[in-house]
Amino acid sequence: MTRDPDAPSTLLSASALCVQRDGRDVVRDVDLELRAGEMLVLLGPNGAGKSTLLDALAGMLAASRGRVQRSGRVAVALQSPDLARRSVAQNVELALAWWGVPRSQRAPRARTALAELGVDHLSDRAAATLSGGERRRVHLARALAVRPDVLLLDEPFAGLDAVTRAELLGDAESALRSAARATIIVVHDRAEAWALADRLLVLLDGRIAATGPPRELLEHPPTEAVARFLGFDGSLTEGDETLLTRPAHVSLDAEGPLLALVVRSIPLEDGVRLELQLDHGRLFTVAPIPGPRTGERVRLRVDGGVRFRTPLSTRTSVSG
Amino acid sequence: MHFLWDGLRQGVQLILHGNSYIVQLTWVTIRVAAISTAVASLLGLPLGLALGLGRFRGRRVGLTLGNAGLALPPVMLGLVLSLLMFPQAPLGGLHLLFTLNGVIVAQTLLAFPIVVALTAAAVQAVPAGLIAQARALGAGTRHVWLLALREARVGVMAAVIAALGSALSEVGAVVLVGGNIEGSDQTLASAALEQVDAGHFAQAMAIGIVLLGLILLLAGALTVLQQRGTVARVRVRAPS
Repeated sequence: MTRDPDAPSTLLSASALCVQRDGRDVVRDVDLELRAGEMLVLLGPNGAGKSTLLDALAGMLAASRGRVQRSGRVAVALQSPDLARRSVAQNVELALAWWGVPRSQRAPRARTALAELGVDHLSDRAAATLSGGERRRVHLARALAVRPDVLLLDEPFAGLDAVTRAELLGDAESALRSAARATIIVVHDRAEAWALADRLLVLLDGRIAATGPPRELLEHPPTEAVARFLGFDGSLTEGDETLLTRPAHVSLDAEGPLLALVVRSIPLEDGVRLELQLDHGRLFTVAPIPGPRTGERVRLRVDGGVRFRTPLSTRTSVSG
Repeated sequence: MHFLWDGLRQGVQLILHGNSYIVQLTWVTIRVAAISTAVASLLGLPLGLALGLGRFRGRRVGLTLGNAGLALPPVMLGLVLSLLMFPQAPLGGLHLLFTLNGVIVAQTLLAFPIVVALTAAAVQAVPAGLIAQARALGAGTRHVWLLALREARVGVMAAVIAALGSALSEVGAVVLVGGNIEGSDQTLASAALEQVDAGHFAQAMAIGIVLLGLILLLAGALTVLQQRGTVARVRVRAPS
């Protein structure tokens, strides 16, 4: 195999990486490679080992097996946006001092990073007076200011309300893009993953369950577990196959081939989320307001979804 | 009740007239307190930081010993030290018994655990996330310690003030190690004790008032340093 000489250089790689916490395997057999300019999003449910993997990649936690190779300096923005008791600008300059940046360069670099995250107007404010969203922005600016070769971000949007998160997500997406830097972002919200990822890595129970471009993974999840984690919450058993669907795949249609009973109706901002019971499975969809009532029978159709072979023990016959 | 009044009156007179006896006692007291607090801080701050922030075997034992040291009986320490300082004892060659240096050593040993235990407690209250973030952005031990010292400044200054207070007002170890020798190693506190023993209560009160004034002056100066900047923070926070 020959290597493309124009390909961006590999800045971080892990092979057969295993990490333990309190004697328990939390990350198992992880292989990954990260190149300059790439933005990898690490997605997984709570307790999947995302933060542990990040700590190990950063060198803050020792591997129990396998190895991590780093080319260049790695900076980590931890989940908790704790700031020192000083001004916003001084907090960023402090991080630059930790990083070893000469004193004369600290103030201009701090200003640039704060401007990238849209908080340069807060430079002289005491960090203690910032709101949650502002703290997150300063926290990110602090990590960007050091200009690492590899930037690792642990849930950078955690604990924010929906509006603040959406605003920060929009600003951070452009601020985080750099051709020279490789970035790994840990998230547990799928919407954040779709917004940021060049490549998605799904971690389930400490192992890499799927990796690839987000759209590709969404269209072709490799396993049923990954599909369910990516939001395929509907399930129909059809012979020796199980059809998994997302709400977008299911629509109410008076001429549709399937008959279902509405067992639950949950109002949303822009519609009603329906839980539909069928003879051979359960589906979910979002219907326009007001939508059918609980207990009502509706006809529907399914467009799309993914099929997996049903385990023998759970197969049922299809009644139609 | 007239002892109190006489003591107060004599105290004011002694201060106003610059009595050489009081001036000498005050000077010795300041020297003992300043040197012992400085040395205890110099040695105790790093150890307190290591115990508060470090993760190493024996850390809990160190913290326990530091906390136990807060209740170290001065008389016991003075007794052990004076026995060790006898001419034939292990520290005899240092010729510290019944000297000002011996008193400074005793006071330093009393102040040391105060600085260690209170500093460790203060830096442990610094948000763990901030310390971890500093390390994650490349901060070495020196940077982390400076960050923790600054973040825990109020608590760390309280440790230094407590050490100074101990050095100013302690008598048990001073008397046992120094011998309470007037003009040599007698401090305001040990002089007050001597006056009480002699039945000179008004004189003892007068010395006590000078000592209290000195404590107020020094603690006040350190409190100004301790609280610098904290009022502004509270004011800024209040509207939110």
